[in-house]
Amino acid sequence: MERVIMGEYDVIIIGAGFAGPVAAKKCADAGLKTLMIERSKNVGEKVISGLTIPIYGFLFGPAFIRDGNPPIERPVDGIINYILKDIDKVDIEIDNSLRIPKPFSPIYAFGYNAYCKPFCEWEARKAIEAGAELRTSTVVTDVIMEAGYVKGILTETGEKIRSRIVINAEGSQGLVAIKSGIRKRYPPETISLADVYDYEMPKDLLDEIFGFSLRFCWGWDEQRCAPPLGHGNGLMVWPYRESIHYMHDQCLRIDTANVPNLKKRLKEYHNNITSKLPWWKDDVEPHARLRAHMWESFEIFVGLNEELRSMPNHTHGMILVGDVAGLESTELCDGVPQAWISADIAADVAIESLKANDTSSSFLSRYDKKIKAHPILQWSISGTNRFNLRYAQREHDLKKLRRYVHNGWGLGALTHLSTPLVNTICRHIIRDPFVIMKWRKMFYRYYYNWHHARFDYSESPASSEKEYTGRKEDERFRICFRSWQVFMMILIPLIWLLAILSLPLSKTLNPAMKLLLPVIEPLYAGILRLVAPLSERLSRRKVDRVARTDPSLFEV
Amino acid sequence: MIMGVKTKPVRVSQRFPGVEWIDGTGNFIKIEAQKCNGCGNCMKVCLAECYEMAEGKARIKSLDLCMECGSCWYVCTEEAIIFTWPKGGTGFRTEWG
Repeated sequence: MERVIMGEYDVIIIGAGFAGPVAAKKCADAGLKTLMIERSKNVGEKVISGLTIPIYGFLFGPAFIRDGNPPIERPVDGIINYILKDIDKVDIEIDNSLRIPKPFSPIYAFGYNAYCKPFCEWEARKAIEAGAELRTSTVVTDVIMEAGYVKGILTETGEKIRSRIVINAEGSQGLVAIKSGIRKRYPPETISLADVYDYEMPKDLLDEIFGFSLRFCWGWDEQRCAPPLGHGNGLMVWPYRESIHYMHDQCLRIDTANVPNLKKRLKEYHNNITSKLPWWKDDVEPHARLRAHMWESFEIFVGLNEELRSMPNHTHGMILVGDVAGLESTELCDGVPQAWISADIAADVAIESLKANDTSSSFLSRYDKKIKAHPILQWSISGTNRFNLRYAQREHDLKKLRRYVHNGWGLGALTHLSTPLVNTICRHIIRDPFVIMKWRKMFYRYYYNWHHARFDYSESPASSEKEYTGRKEDERFRICFRSWQVFMMILIPLIWLLAILSLPLSKTLNPAMKLLLPVIEPLYAGILRLVAPLSERLSRRKVDRVARTDPSLFEV
Repeated sequence: MIMGVKTKPVRVSQRFPGVEWIDGTGNFIKIEAQKCNGCGNCMKVCLAECYEMAEGKARIKSLDLCMECGSCWYVCTEEAIIFTWPKGGTGFRTEWG
């Protein structure tokens, strides 16, 4: 049975997860006839993750997300790492050095927790509003090849849908990309199986117990508790609005060793964690109710595999974005910022290529060049701290374990994140200096939205807007916020100049941090402790003002 | 349009709350018996217990609780597992991913 859909699309996008709709929206905005194809019945219902979307996704990703009101579950201002030295004797060390200090937090966050389904749905709606079409319940099985060019897709029912270019956002298994001969199946040592539990918990308790902090646990394999490596990774707990998300994951195998019995292991880990970990037993267990248990495999160390990393992410007429392009982070396991940024770049290249009427591989290689030149993308797929944890464990070396945890999810991250972060910030400011005001508004708007559960398409939007009474101190906050915006506007030429000057200097930041951090860190921690009572009070006051203000203040 | 309407039968499992399966998936995972060397890797990684061993070869017991992670396919060194997606709009779904 073969049906050919008449009427060609300019762009077909395979997959409506986190990446697909971003590309679709941009293509539709550019006036291209765009079709998104999704295998599930409803967008996002097959996407699983424990999900903090790190801030670089929002800062450097698509503008409509940065300037919009997507559904988030909770801002994140820090990570508490628990190093489980001996779980039975409750010998536990804490590293909570990576934290946005108050009073900046929780308005300024380093990421936002979210459920996948509502977020992907939100993105898809934006793409549809821009004019993209969406077809759900449709599995793409192959691409149409003509004279070596991808010219559309083939569905499981034999239907052919033609397009001038295809953007492939099918996810990490990459079945279509493999069939097209661009990629190959990822080896099991690069894949981790994430076992995810979702627990309901009252919001006030979450506010009190977790606040805005993620909790990660790392331990020795033989404790069968939080596996830093056993065969993988660790335990992560994310506080959401009225729930917590729990994920522990294990690589399918280590190097070329045998595949472990993951079914048995993950069960054992979950039992041990919930029965032995003090804060779980005391703070979580009595109040949490299990709502869902699910799992997903995800690429974790693809970026560390040289062969896979250097494989092309394009062919004649097709570009790969997000997970199928191997862009999941090796350190934080985050894939959403990479999906957003790569989809954004892919859409730009697709638009250019259609304008030039050239979808050849040599034209589309611009995409790969841009991906390889993106400091944050490259940084995120090359971190080795999580990978190296296994060696600390094999040697039972506590010093090493501490160091990898600190450098991965503690303040030590500044020794490898500073350069790409500052470099990307500078590039964005040089391109559009007004972006700093958009960034600032984003942080405030996201917090406001979270506080009032006020998101685009939500059923009861802005109950809070009624609350704005224009009291004297609220008026003062409005004036203050606006004055800062004006002040920043005046400083724009200076900031722009500073960005130009800082760009080449950003290279020196990582080595400088390596050198200086051992000295700065205790000093910084001391100062924070000293000003804690004051900053706590200021933070509370600021949050209170933001929550009561008129949200139009934060609109872009 | 995005939310859709549930028309096909939906199954749930007491073992895995918060997840539903829409019937009509078809046999989306197959084993090429002649390639299987009976290593049992697929059994070890499948959290849904979809596999069993029979006469020294892996066999699919049931795909009822499969969450389509593809772990079995990744760990099959003999490439004996043919992994495809369930028919469009069927298979596992969740609100809590």
